[in-house]
Amino acid sequence: MGLIRLLIFGFIGLTILYLIIGVYSRSIRREKLENKWKAMHPDGGDVHDRDAYIEKGMVEYQSGIRPKLILLVYVVPALAVLAVLIATNWN
Amino acid sequence: MYRVKTILKVLAFVLIGGLLHYVLPQHDVARITGTEVIRQDFSKWNRLFFAQPESGNVAFLNRDVLFINAVVKKTYLLGFIRREAEGQMVYRNEDTGWIWPPYFKFDTRDLDGEAKNLTSTSDNPKWVVITHYGWRNRFLTIFPNAIAIKPVDGPDVRVIPWFNIFFFAFMTLAYFFARAMWLQFRERSIDPLLEDVNETYDRVGERVSEKKGRISRWLDTWKSKGR
Repeated sequence: MGLIRLLIFGFIGLTILYLIIGVYSRSIRREKLENKWKAMHPDGGDVHDRDAYIEKGMVEYQSGIRPKLILLVYVVPALAVLAVLIATNWN
Repeated sequence: MYRVKTILKVLAFVLIGGLLHYVLPQHDVARITGTEVIRQDFSKWNRLFFAQPESGNVAFLNRDVLFINAVVKKTYLLGFIRREAEGQMVYRNEDTGWIWPPYFKFDTRDLDGEAKNLTSTSDNPKWVVITHYGWRNRFLTIFPNAIAIKPVDGPDVRVIPWFNIFFFAFMTLAYFFARAMWLQFRERSIDPLLEDVNETYDRVGERVSEKKGRISRWLDTWKSKGR
């Protein structure tokens, strides 16, 4: 049935999108942390300290609101489908 | 190479433009002259341009399709420039169902009733705006699919294509977002990899030339020395 097909393929497509955006967002955060460390330690600093600093920042990121906002990737298209469905069939 | 690239770009532009022109909603100012049901025996040429049977029904080789006949105000440039001329247009009235194109239209029969209610003659015209997608082609016998009918006061109504405005704004945003993602991916993942490969390559090259040096030096020892 059409609805089941839409749900399955929609879920697969949106999951791919979700994973890609998640990787992108983490990559941006890591780069920011690296740049911050570079600003604090112009000479490069200790390698282990640097790794620890970045790991701590990434853990903080994971527990923050941003990764949860990426879940909107699933919510927004579902709402869009609902809106179109209502707009088309409303009498 | 430059010419091939240009041709590919033009081809992509035509294909994507054609797809969007087929799928995106357009608005016609029209006067409905009648509705009818006609059995369609699809060929492989025009099957693609008709939808699936109504949601909940079984697919068969042919079926009855609802149509709406109308007199429309002709336009230039995708409806941006109005003309005084009028022309005939026939719309099919079919469910799009859940998949494609994503209009999620299930109210075909209701729309048929609405069209019947708004049918009028040229003496006493009732003007409507018909939202539709698709193409009319007389040689393939294909019709645009009517999505919605809205009564309006007169033929000079201004229609603002809100959906298309939002759609293109969203596509522009999505393009820049995808581009930013790709640039980030290249900067962080591909470029370091390429640097690694280059370094390894250099090191191997050095070792090879070093080895070659040793071997050729050893070979040289066998060469006859000037006596």
